[in-house]
Amino acid sequence: MEREIALEVNNIWLRYKCLSSYSIKKSLLRLKKADTKVFEALKGVSFSLQKGEILGLVGKNGSGKSTMLRAIAGIFSPDEGTIDLHGNTVSLLSIGVGFQRELTGRENIVLSGMLLGFSEEQVRSKMDEIIEFAALGEFIDMPVKTYSSGMHSKLAFSIVAILESDIILVDEVLSVGDSKFKRKSYNKMKQLINDQNHTVVIVSHNPDTIKELCTSVLWLHDGKVRMIGETNEVVNAYEDFMSK
Amino acid sequence: MWNRFIKDLKAYFPYARFSAKSDLKAEVASSYLNWLWWILDPLLYMLVYSFITVIVFQSKVDYFPIFVFIGLTLWNFFSKNVQGSVKMVRQNSGIVSKVYIPKYILILQKLIVSGFKMMICWALIVIMMAFYRVPLTWNVLYIFPILVEIVLLTFGCSCIILHFGVYVDDLFNVTQVVLRLIFYMSGIFYSIGDRVPEPYKTIMLTCNPVSMLIESGRRCLLYESVPYRKSILVWGVISVLLCVAGVHLIYKNENSYVKVM
Repeated sequence: MEREIALEVNNIWLRYKCLSSYSIKKSLLRLKKADTKVFEALKGVSFSLQKGEILGLVGKNGSGKSTMLRAIAGIFSPDEGTIDLHGNTVSLLSIGVGFQRELTGRENIVLSGMLLGFSEEQVRSKMDEIIEFAALGEFIDMPVKTYSSGMHSKLAFSIVAILESDIILVDEVLSVGDSKFKRKSYNKMKQLINDQNHTVVIVSHNPDTIKELCTSVLWLHDGKVRMIGETNEVVNAYEDFMSK
Repeated sequence: MWNRFIKDLKAYFPYARFSAKSDLKAEVASSYLNWLWWILDPLLYMLVYSFITVIVFQSKVDYFPIFVFIGLTLWNFFSKNVQGSVKMVRQNSGIVSKVYIPKYILILQKLIVSGFKMMICWALIVIMMAFYRVPLTWNVLYIFPILVEIVLLTFGCSCIILHFGVYVDDLFNVTQVVLRLIFYMSGIFYSIGDRVPEPYKTIMLTCNPVSMLIESGRRCLLYESVPYRKSILVWGVISVLLCVAGVHLIYKNENSYVKVM
């Protein structure tokens, strides 16, 4: 069955310039120009995802997984190449979304929702569902600065999970909160994944999660695609490589 | 760029407005007397400068308390926003590194917050004018273009400062000194027209938009005269150009801001 393509990543290159922060004091004290090292995080990665597909991203630390997600989320654009979202909304689900510490949980739900591209009314209509899912009790009306780190991530997860962008990017978030919430969020993830309308990209170091959730896996190695394809095949090859 | 700016503004203005409203609410909620400081802060500074100028320097200016208050109100709006924009991206790294947002929206949010506080100050000015029975003329209406211009000028300068603030670590210290210099050169607690000899007077009133706007505001509100209309027009055009340059600069570079942090 031919399904429509939700996400197309075409030969993207992404470079970080180290030492690019500059200080007037430093440059006065040391007149010679500091040479900037360029670090290439992604070197010509391309892949495409069909609607409803769940892609797992694996790779060792520093191989460019998070950079990949951030590029897809539009936080920074690639230096070369293109990312085509085909008009889908996208949200990055990572540990600790930027909340305003002085504001209450309720207000932060609206703010985060609006930042994800939803209107105030849309967020408000899902407000009760989010609050129920986050299960923060009376803390929902307290400033976020009073939250524990677990509550923080629970709220962050609930917002993105309930608001349901078309493309959801998950960065190591399946281990959020206490064991009860973990199970709940895992089930919610599975539910989102089973829903054919959502396309999901998951970064995880846990091979079992990847094997259970993903329909295909992309193995990034030093910013390049080392392998892409069927889940078990890629995960096994990756595990072999890592245990060497 | 114009189309993108309009589109982004439409998409993100509700966010800026809601966020500003929540900020103000949080400020009120965090302590009972907090909102009182929005009024007390300029009032107390007005007393300080009135003391220094009237008693120490023995200067005579009509309606001196309102005179200082107008200066402080416009100055605080300009300087607090410009100073705040230096570390804007870093302070909002939680947002900036998680979602895409045009970075000038962060400035816009702060402008709404301080704009609201400024409106409270203007209400106080109106009350004081009534109290001192300041005679009014139609020239009072010139205050509206002046207000629009201070907002444009502040937005333009803030955008440019925000951009360089990301890359230059110690820009905060530099802007602090520069703003202090502009503060003393803007005639906030003295009258440039009366105290400064030519040619410095003309230079200070034409080359420094803040002092020009402050003096213009005083002229039309307190002294029944016409503001510096030509300067307002010229600086209006420059302010718009600053805004265009600032937004352009941010659009061109905002993608790499996250990489620097």
